[in-house]
Amino acid sequence: MKMSAAKAKMREKKMRNQPASVQYPESSTEYGGGADHPVTGGGQSNVRPFSKRQRTPPNRSGWVRGHQKDGGGYAREMPKFITAGAFARARAAEVSAMLKAVTKTTASSHVFQTLPKHMRRRAMSHNTKRLPRRLRDVANRMREKSLLASSKKKKEPAKSKSRKARRRHGNLLLEFNRRQRKNIWLETHIWHAKRFHMVKKWGYCLGVRPTYKCYRPCYRAMSSHCLLQDLSYYCCIELKGEEDKLLAALSQLTSKEGGPTFAAAMCLSGGRQGSVTVYRAGQYPSQPLGPVTYLWRPRTAELTHRQLWIWAHPTLKQDLLPELQSVCLCSEAVVTPVEPEVSCAEADPTVQVEAKSENIPDNKLKPGAKRKRSRKDASEPAEKKILGDGTRLPSTPVTWKSSSTGIVINDLTMEIVRYRLIGPQSHSVLAETLEAATVCDASMDLKSPSLWWPQHCKDQSNISLHQQQTGVFDLLKGICSTGELSPGTVLGLTVDDPRLTLPQKKVKAVPCVSQAQEADEEKRRELMMRGVPQQCCQSFLWDQSVRDNVTDNKLSEQELNRTRSELLVPGSRLSPTPPQGRVPILLVHQPGKQVGNELNSWGAGWDLLLPKGWGMAFWIPLVYRGVRVAGLHMSLKHSQNKAAPHFPHDYPDCPAGARFQEEQEAEFLDKFRRRPPAKRTNYIKHGCLAPFRCPWQQLAEEWELLTTEGGAEGKGYGQTESTTKTDVIEEVTSQQNIAATNPSSCFNVLRNRKSLRLLSAWCRPTASRGKRQRPGAAVPPLTPSAVTSFNAAHRMSLLWVRLTLLSKGNPEAHAMVCVPTAEDLKLFSKNKAGSGPQEPPHKDHFKSRIKRKKKGSKKAASSLFSSDDRASDPITPKDPQSSSDLILGLWPDPLPSVTSHCSRVTLGWITQGDFSLSVGCGEALGFVSVAGLLNTLLNQPVEHRGKLLLRNPTSLHYRFVKLNIDV
Amino acid sequence: MEIYGAPHYFTAGVQAAHRKMTEPRSPGMSSVPQVIPTHTEPSSQAVEMDPVEYTLRKRLPRKLPKRRNDVYVNMKTDFRAQLARCQKLLEGGGHREICVHGLGLAINRAINIALQLQASSQGALQLAANTSTVELIDDLEPEDPDEAGEPMTRTRNNSAIHIKVFYPDPQ
Repeated sequence: MKMSAAKAKMREKKMRNQPASVQYPESSTEYGGGADHPVTGGGQSNVRPFSKRQRTPPNRSGWVRGHQKDGGGYAREMPKFITAGAFARARAAEVSAMLKAVTKTTASSHVFQTLPKHMRRRAMSHNTKRLPRRLRDVANRMREKSLLASSKKKKEPAKSKSRKARRRHGNLLLEFNRRQRKNIWLETHIWHAKRFHMVKKWGYCLGVRPTYKCYRPCYRAMSSHCLLQDLSYYCCIELKGEEDKLLAALSQLTSKEGGPTFAAAMCLSGGRQGSVTVYRAGQYPSQPLGPVTYLWRPRTAELTHRQLWIWAHPTLKQDLLPELQSVCLCSEAVVTPVEPEVSCAEADPTVQVEAKSENIPDNKLKPGAKRKRSRKDASEPAEKKILGDGTRLPSTPVTWKSSSTGIVINDLTMEIVRYRLIGPQSHSVLAETLEAATVCDASMDLKSPSLWWPQHCKDQSNISLHQQQTGVFDLLKGICSTGELSPGTVLGLTVDDPRLTLPQKKVKAVPCVSQAQEADEEKRRELMMRGVPQQCCQSFLWDQSVRDNVTDNKLSEQELNRTRSELLVPGSRLSPTPPQGRVPILLVHQPGKQVGNELNSWGAGWDLLLPKGWGMAFWIPLVYRGVRVAGLHMSLKHSQNKAAPHFPHDYPDCPAGARFQEEQEAEFLDKFRRRPPAKRTNYIKHGCLAPFRCPWQQLAEEWELLTTEGGAEGKGYGQTESTTKTDVIEEVTSQQNIAATNPSSCFNVLRNRKSLRLLSAWCRPTASRGKRQRPGAAVPPLTPSAVTSFNAAHRMSLLWVRLTLLSKGNPEAHAMVCVPTAEDLKLFSKNKAGSGPQEPPHKDHFKSRIKRKKKGSKKAASSLFSSDDRASDPITPKDPQSSSDLILGLWPDPLPSVTSHCSRVTLGWITQGDFSLSVGCGEALGFVSVAGLLNTLLNQPVEHRGKLLLRNPTSLHYRFVKLNIDV
Repeated sequence: MEIYGAPHYFTAGVQAAHRKMTEPRSPGMSSVPQVIPTHTEPSSQAVEMDPVEYTLRKRLPRKLPKRRNDVYVNMKTDFRAQLARCQKLLEGGGHREICVHGLGLAINRAINIALQLQASSQGALQLAANTSTVELIDDLEPEDPDEAGEPMTRTRNNSAIHIKVFYPDPQ
């Protein structure tokens, strides 16, 4: 038997001062006289036992506790005779060794440990006088020794400073900077960390959900007031260059079939935010990367170059950025900024020296600022709060340019703060929080020549633009609901520091009820019809130098509080506005639910874009206006209620989505394994092949085969569904290997708008209402020929669908979408409220194998077992994998046919499902195979078209659902 | 209960919330009394004849501040629930009067609710109806292959009814 390493170590430590061996070989007594020096074992008689000892592992050689299996200790046969002299000598050696061992103290023991327990006293090691006198000397010596040792040690644990020292601002910042080396903190991190469950995801520390219970309040906030989220982790990539070159490069990434692209006229002008799905260059139907939103800077007179911001999810960025570099031919990394504009970091120190004597508050600020700056110069980033991306090395390039096309790509990750406000009242919150910047007069100008706002105020055109923007913003205040605006509207604005108008108490922002003047009413109408005028979309936030200037010159919280304390009336607004307090922002309208006919514009809101460093300055005032704050969990629910796919959860064909699926599977599996085996769901018995993931590829392949087979057999598939199905499926199982080797590539998700529209029309029941729906555009009827041509055009594709439960039931993730049989539909039309059909319980053939394996491992005959077990196994011997990764209740890896595993044919799976508070019944979102769906629709009677079955992985109960394809 | 979930209470009348329109003046639009082709860009005045396809997206109707005794009727919530809500306001809520609003298809239902209230009160309640016209805004998103089309908006009008249901003063 092996001893664990730690045990061996401990024993070795204990035995350090002990004599080497006290064992006297018993077998030496066999030969009486031969043994002269038994302890050393020199005699002939000892040769055998000693050599035997040496073969055993070295840790054996001392004493070993307990009875040993291989019979180390006891000799089998008793000696016939003993020689007295040798025997006595051997015993004497033993005794002396034992005495030696007893007298010598082992290392770990203190002096008082030599005392019997009843003689021990409290604090003996501290006060030696409590020991009996005979032990005091030794104890004193020991104590001195230990004191010496501890004094030596004392030098190094100096790291645990006092709390006061640790909480000192500089030290705290250092600590914070250290902690965000791996995962970046957003600017609101500390606020969130006090209130949210945080996770480290995608290289950021993000809040998932608040620690307090607020699921329904958050939903209510979304649908009737305002919900706030920090989306600063979204990555912004900036592209600069000539418009046609940019468009030519970007057109490779998108396709017009999937909706408007980067070149869409309404977005190109800069008046709207657009969204598009990006593909690998020139690969349109296959290899998508993911969805992005983009924003063009409005054309200006002086700039010939266009500027484009592409906002992408952090997991998408790692795929997107190389792709953008390759299509724009941007390979040269530029370390310093390309723009020859004066960056304010260089300009600042000189300016501040000039301004030193002028006003006191500035003067007070300066020493600190200077010290920081000088430290930074000395390449010591100590004490400096990280703004922006802290994980990036300073040498990592963020800018790439191309000499051939002149396009410059700029990675603006963490440079711009993005907050999302969701809900109909979100712009009354904004209207209450933000206040258009006051215009500077000339006197202020002189005082602070480094600040951007006074300089901009010199220019009359800037002032008139600002007034126009202010006018639009004031008009917006009169609008009650966010959904009334044209979707995607952009408004640039310059606002005062919102901390100046912070209310004393948290208030709930309500729309201002003002009887609008006739002229205002007219203007408002104009705004609603035409949207925000072109020039008002301009913002100085686009300007890197302005952004840096604003970030650098932010008034510190401390300074602000000091000015506040000097106010004559406590709690009143700070005025005049300090010259630093103007911030350029962008407001971007987020359209709510746009697809489908129900709940139009649900979840519309505004995005607030800010320069970095100003995050908290805007966050607290927003929170003080009574918004609710939510995390990642709620953004998932938001898109679920909007019936929109959420990235990366619902993009299984994108690399980021595939990665996410793997992570999710590992996580679920881990959770499943942590349960005791008897308490786990047996998914095999539930007929659920893959409860933790969705094998999309296999599904698409199987349906591909099924349809081609069905086509070859003719239209017989429909009528005798059950019989042909089994035939075909058998063929599928046999041909699976062929399909796998076939290079017909990966599945993809159908995003072609025209095809989606056609499908959407097909899956509606074309009953009485049908005539009213589409008088103009005639939909080609659903015929077998139309289906075949559609299938040929979109091979191996999946379709994003929304399923509404017709009766009760709560769908879960990875639930199966199945085809109802004719009998099911008949039963359903008889009894609408009745529950759906049941799946007969499956048999777990793997259970016995696992049991046998367990027994087998005890017998330690694993090699024999696996071969004869497989021969006797009753089920299809399709899994020749090692039985070691069999988990009770989970199907082992090469899955059998996923479509035909259960009594109803599987069409697809659910990726998100929950009880929808907005609809009032269970609602599920997921993908189905296009080929499978068309086949089903073709065979369903017209009045039941689009009715499917849904079954949760942990249940045997099928529920009827209604299929919707929203375009 | 979302009462003024505005789209529900008129989309039931015009089923598809979005449709492709090859000819904007198709019979499907006959329910819209006046189609005002205003506010397109001045250059594209002949937009009516444009072969470009548009997706129609309806915006929410203008929302006005809501008092406690305002009831906006929609076509999605169950009729009995809406009626019960009104009754609760009048009896338990302590309001002397409530206002029942209906837009488009929901006008019928608003009238029904008001009449039911009156009937169940044995003549204690009185009604006063007002009608009005609500201006609605549609967004037309172009779907052309060369993506040069500007998005358009147009307004159309829809009728609305506002019924005051009240206990008359004793004198």
